[in-house]
Amino acid sequence: MMNPIMHQLALVKRELWEHKSIYVAPAAVAVVSVLVILTGYVFVKGYEGAVELGITAGQNVLGEAERRAALMGFLVGNTAIYYFAAAILTIFYCLDALYAERKNKSILFWRSLPITDAETVISKLLTALIAIPVVTWVVVIAAHLVTLLFVSLFVEIEGGSAFFMIWKSAPIFDVWAANLVAMLSLPIWYSPLIGWFLFVSAWTKRSPLLVGFLPLVVVPLLEYFILRTTFVRDAIQSRFDQMPLISGDKVIRIFDNHDFGNVSESFSLFDLISVPQFLASPAMWAGVIVCALFCTAAIYVRRYRDDS
Amino acid sequence: MSSLVTAQGMSKRYGDVRAVDNVSFEIEKGKIMGLIGPNGAGKTTLLKAVLGLTDCEGQLSVLGLDPFRQRKQLMQNICFIADVAVLPRWIRVHQLLDFVAQTHPNFSRERAEEQLSRTKIKPNAKVKELSKGMVTQLHLSIIMAIDARLLILDEPTLGLDIIFRKEFYSHLLNDYFDGERTILITTHQVEEIENLLTDIMFINDGRILLDSSMEDIPSQFVEVMTSGENAEAARRLGPIYERDVFGKKVMVFENADREQLDALGETHTPSVADLFVAKVKGAAA
Repeated sequence: MMNPIMHQLALVKRELWEHKSIYVAPAAVAVVSVLVILTGYVFVKGYEGAVELGITAGQNVLGEAERRAALMGFLVGNTAIYYFAAAILTIFYCLDALYAERKNKSILFWRSLPITDAETVISKLLTALIAIPVVTWVVVIAAHLVTLLFVSLFVEIEGGSAFFMIWKSAPIFDVWAANLVAMLSLPIWYSPLIGWFLFVSAWTKRSPLLVGFLPLVVVPLLEYFILRTTFVRDAIQSRFDQMPLISGDKVIRIFDNHDFGNVSESFSLFDLISVPQFLASPAMWAGVIVCALFCTAAIYVRRYRDDS
Repeated sequence: MSSLVTAQGMSKRYGDVRAVDNVSFEIEKGKIMGLIGPNGAGKTTLLKAVLGLTDCEGQLSVLGLDPFRQRKQLMQNICFIADVAVLPRWIRVHQLLDFVAQTHPNFSRERAEEQLSRTKIKPNAKVKELSKGMVTQLHLSIIMAIDARLLILDEPTLGLDIIFRKEFYSHLLNDYFDGERTILITTHQVEEIENLLTDIMFINDGRILLDSSMEDIPSQFVEVMTSGENAEAARRLGPIYERDVFGKKVMVFENADREQLDALGETHTPSVADLFVAKVKGAAA
């Protein structure tokens, strides 16, 4: 009997071989974002005087907390696009995961190996829940480092001190840790959709994209017209409300103060999220259960479906 | 337990169509069983049931397991080649070996690599870059490196040229088959496997028409080439099938008195292909 964890590792690794977009897509985003920043510097080179002034101000006028806040804003802004890319990637991955193998008949080969249908479906779920976020996160770290290196080089060329202006103040570990937690929590929060897309992928005979999205629109409409209720619509909509990971009161406190100049030096992105609050959220667990039901259905379909 | 596969009253329905209709058979250890039938006869359905890929009615036991419910345990001791199309096209050869090594407890990577080193297949090649014949060689190299008790081949040489087909079977016989293992094979090209089979089973319309060892065929079936009055006399003995060859009559008899037939014309044992036609057409007549 082979270790089921070894099995899962082999299966998830296989997903990374097959779906190269899991690392190619974030890498492409990283290359583009670094290029955009480089272009930006070439552009500001035209404003020699202003740049010098900016750097002098950055070094002498701004306090540590402001520099930290500015760099945090820069890093966070830089990261947003990766979330968008990961979301699109996850949707397309899930819709393809159990569909392509049927389309190209390789399912017959996979099923000739001693691997259960449950193990296979779980490996696809783990790829969406863990592998995609972790790969994206590693790319984000690499992109941050490259970007900050370029900025440092620029600051040094312009006569500033990169260590003082950037490396001493940049809250990189805070930003990275907070992003890792957020990147791993988001797919769990949206797991009902991930489960649904995996089920569609295992079940549909054609056009998984259409079959995946159409019911999300049609079912709430039908429910409203026939039953005059909005249960499904509310369920879908509530997923896009504020996620329970964000610790709402702290965010409000910061914005209520309107006083960014006074942000404390110890201010941390990590303070804005609350893992216990997320783990205690009934809405999150309800979503996980829905995901589990869809995955069970996907396993059942893969096992009992007989395409001949 | 010498019987690896036992089916009792096994049926599989797709809607109103009975793809496999109440069949019973056994496959014993160390046999090479040929499953022969026209398209749509139920061969693939039968194999799928044996492989646990589809549920069926009746009793079916493979290696003492219920194939549909205990598929994972079963797959540790069964190998399966459907046809050349099923290896994923995006995968690289070394990735494929890695994956099978990590998921199959009875797979020997060294053995697969040794097999592959005799071919032109490069470890870094992608399956989609390989020719059809090379994909089969690759699949066969993996299968041969798995210490399995039962090997199931469903039209394994479909679409391959004659040289590959010959190599495939000689490889199978010389390097794989050792009397301990058991092979169940379906193919349209009966003539090519006739000599390697130990047992044969004909299937048509979901029913088994013949289930016999190759050794028993000569004592069960005889083909007579005759003409004129002798043909009339032979026809009265109840051939299962009759055809014309160059103005002569060729009749196939089942369990007939061979000496009686010797007097009526030239007798010999029918080839599997001819016997198959006789059984299928004879059953339809």
